[in-house]
Amino acid sequence: MNRDSYAIALKTALTEIQKAYPDLNHSFIFTQNENIISGEQETDENTMNTVLDSFENLKEKAETIGEIKDIHITGKKGNVTLSKINDMYLVLSTTKNMNNTHIYAITHVIIPTILKTMETIESPHLPDTSTQKKLVVDTLTGFFAGDAVQIDTEILDDWTQNNDPRARVKAAITGEPAIPEEINQVHIETFSGNTTVCKVKEVDDQNVKGKNMIKIPEKLAKSLEITKGDMVMVKPID
Amino acid sequence: MKSIKTEEQESETEILQEKLQTIKEQEGIIGYILRNSKSASIDLKDPTKIIEYAVLSSTALDTGDDMTETLQLGEVDTIVLETEETKLLSMKTNDHSLSIFMEKTVDHNKLSKSLK
Repeated sequence: MNRDSYAIALKTALTEIQKAYPDLNHSFIFTQNENIISGEQETDENTMNTVLDSFENLKEKAETIGEIKDIHITGKKGNVTLSKINDMYLVLSTTKNMNNTHIYAITHVIIPTILKTMETIESPHLPDTSTQKKLVVDTLTGFFAGDAVQIDTEILDDWTQNNDPRARVKAAITGEPAIPEEINQVHIETFSGNTTVCKVKEVDDQNVKGKNMIKIPEKLAKSLEITKGDMVMVKPID
Repeated sequence: MKSIKTEEQESETEILQEKLQTIKEQEGIIGYILRNSKSASIDLKDPTKIIEYAVLSSTALDTGDDMTETLQLGEVDTIVLETEETKLLSMKTNDHSLSIFMEKTVDHNKLSKSLK
């Protein structure tokens, strides 16, 4: 689910919430780093930006007493509530008639549940095997074998673009990058169940490139009880 | 010779200050800032934070005005800002701008009612 999908899902949710609560005039969500994610249909971008600018200024000055969790502004004709939910702020503008219990339900139950559901859709409680690769073992011998395994650059590049779905959800919502810059370690599991974590670097032998191979120092291969030609399951560790 | 309005303002300021002194004695109250166009009175537990708290008080009131204007909610009655441990209640009463800093456990609604 990408950032646009989240924005659409949240926009729909906020629009539906507004239908359920007629005393809700405007609602929108922005991130802690002040990016607007979504607002219901009735709220125009200028309104959201103006509120965001005011909030940004207050947030900076409020640092003296800590990070803002909630703001409640009572006006003659209606109220504004800003509530921190995870890494985001939800803004609700309501009439004077809006029940506080309803505001609490939206800020503490409905929106957090929707966000949690989005995470669940992205990560359906199954082990993350998308990053795991089945590779053929080749052994590294000689004085300069070192203690790091060697893997094809393409696989390493693939891993840096294919990390934890929960991190992707967070990245999509907050707009912050979730892709690890590089993979330094891998977890290796043999088919007999032996495992290890070790350093990894790009393969320097042109002949094994693109062949789904992992070059393992002989000493390490021995401790894992594997030999050249065996298969192992390998996954990255950020 | 003082005008009637000025005398009324002074009397109102005195009444507010008396109320604030009583509030200040309550458990969990960190301090207050009361100001009008002519004067300001500040009473904070930690005097080293006077400038930061004064700036925050003023910004909170301005933010309240900006947001209610943008969202067409009329004049501001109260602004309550909450952080992990601290709470700020800001409000305007006639010519006075008032901010009370307190611990999160304090009932700000009760304070707000007592000041109106």
